[in-house]
Amino acid sequence: MNEVKIKSNNLNVFYGDKQALFDVNLDLNEKEVTALIGPSGCGKSTFIRCINRMNDVIDICKVTGNIEIDGVEINDENLDVVSLRERVGMVFQKPNPFPKSIYDNISYGPKIHGKGETKSELDEIVERSLKKAALWEEVKDRLDEPGTGLSGGQQQRLCIARAISVNPEVILMDEPCSALDPIATAKIEELIDELKKTYTIVIVTHSMAQAVRVSQKTGFFHLGKLIEVGKTEKIFKNPDNKMTQDYITGRFG
Amino acid sequence: MTKEQRLKKRHAAEKRFRLYGLTSILVALVFVLILVNNIFSKGSSAFMKTVINVEVFFDSELIDIENGAPEENIREADFYDITIETLLKAYPAKNLDEENELIDLFTTDAEIEIKKAFLENNNLIGKKINLEITASDDIDQLHKGNYPRNLPEDRRRISNFQLKIYDNLLQNNKINKNFNNYFFNNGDSRDPELAGIGGALVGSFYSIIICLLLAFPVAVLASIYLEEFAPKNKITDFIEININNLAAVPSIVYGLLALQILLATIQLPRSTPLVAGITLALMTLPRIIIPCRASLKAVPPSIREGALAVGASKFQSVFHHVVPLSLPGTLSGTIIGLAQALGETAPLILIGMVAFVVDIPSTPIDPSSSLPVQVYLWSESAERGFVEKTSATIMMLLSFLIFMNFIAVYLRQKFEKRWN
Repeated sequence: MNEVKIKSNNLNVFYGDKQALFDVNLDLNEKEVTALIGPSGCGKSTFIRCINRMNDVIDICKVTGNIEIDGVEINDENLDVVSLRERVGMVFQKPNPFPKSIYDNISYGPKIHGKGETKSELDEIVERSLKKAALWEEVKDRLDEPGTGLSGGQQQRLCIARAISVNPEVILMDEPCSALDPIATAKIEELIDELKKTYTIVIVTHSMAQAVRVSQKTGFFHLGKLIEVGKTEKIFKNPDNKMTQDYITGRFG
Repeated sequence: MTKEQRLKKRHAAEKRFRLYGLTSILVALVFVLILVNNIFSKGSSAFMKTVINVEVFFDSELIDIENGAPEENIREADFYDITIETLLKAYPAKNLDEENELIDLFTTDAEIEIKKAFLENNNLIGKKINLEITASDDIDQLHKGNYPRNLPEDRRRISNFQLKIYDNLLQNNKINKNFNNYFFNNGDSRDPELAGIGGALVGSFYSIIICLLLAFPVAVLASIYLEEFAPKNKITDFIEININNLAAVPSIVYGLLALQILLATIQLPRSTPLVAGITLALMTLPRIIIPCRASLKAVPPSIREGALAVGASKFQSVFHHVVPLSLPGTLSGTIIGLAQALGETAPLILIGMVAFVVDIPSTPIDPSSSLPVQVYLWSESAERGFVEKTSATIMMLLSFLIFMNFIAVYLRQKFEKRWN
């Protein structure tokens, strides 16, 4: 078992008067893939958006409780979210490359963080990130073409490369394959397998099969509560909770 | 109702709707055509002026100046006698009345035109040249066919004698039509043949530049702040409602505001492009903010999230990604706002731009006119020559507006980037 990287303690999230998460206590291990499953609106996306403080963008959102990364509290008003997000990258449900060239998409993050002062350093970061995202071979000859001109699966890998470019410790993935076809999905899953050697990965997914394939640990959310968490094998073969059992066998959801 | 009947009814409804749409487009087109045709048929003749060919003899006895005289001496010299002498040679007049009628065929600026010819070549003393002198407004209109010569003499401004001279000159090919440089170079004048839109053009140009310099930065920064940074609460809601209301406030109200604050309180010089620019900027501000905010809103939130997720600050995500993407909408909104300001008349009348200004303004704090106000001024004038001038000015104004809208469309297409 790897060490705990992220630890949430009695995490509550409110959107205005509506409570979206109830006392979530969840530990995520380093260099491991944790899958979060559950029906729509159960709070899994809300949970991962707490890890890089993406919920700050929403005015009416209020977060109480604790989240620690490497033992440091991040749900703290004085924390610099910019450096937090440098450490915690994110990949969204819909591929959202910037309407700029492939090169600029990757080099943007390193540039604003002052990594890669020279052109050759930036070139190297771009190449390394695209290679890690298994996109290099497909785009190496057209780095100056717009990122939005790529296919859906390539765009999503571009977004993964963009997240990797700033060399984060954690990568959050919010249903990264929901807009992709099975072949593109397979490529992303392979990639996740590869990436977990370097990064701590949290993936939200609606596909049980995907959770089984890519994750070592699975958490099941329902109506804002963490119902059950454990090793993926155990959750899918022999869950403790009746509700988990019902969900993974497709009796509700 | 059977299935077939229902289907038939649906098809009929669609056909009817298409017909209504087509009809309304045709009606609109007919109106536009009538308008354009009316303006063109009345205005196009204003770009030409009637000139009368005369022979000028620079008699040393009539001008107190020598060959090769310096420019300032020529400017101060009196060309009146030689002018009268020249004009009288155009046709034999028997008495003083006839002489006066003959001189009235020419523009009141005939002396200046002869002096100008001498300025271009100051070795003309003792020589004869042929010169084309601008005709008076009445002859100009007669030559362009806008003047009813069948009326009885006492209801005409042109006398029978003058008609006789005109016919004689025409027969001898002494009357021509030239490009009307006065229309573009001159300021306003009481004499239609000398009146031009030069002053109005410069005045409008200064006003629009001042309006742009004031309104654009304020509107863009206000839009970015309101759309991206301002907290969503009752105060910002209130501001938003009021911006929308201000965009709908009649422009004359801005004129009253400017009259009270800029002219009465701050005591800025009246009738000037400076005041006009500030007034138009106040009026244009909300009209630019609205399209700016709309174009910022149209940038998908996923772009902002993408930037934030790689660790960009709010400021960086807005200025590196959102603002560049909103630029086409922002620019075209600004240009359309300025085009509206260019055509605005009411507030300018209130700040005194309706004054009769002959000189072309050289700075924004000189009294000036503007294109739409010039249209308003000339449309009220009695002289026949101002009818074509009014329409020609409208043509100029419309072509500027079309040009600006064209730029707006061009910018939008050039900078528009597609996402996804």
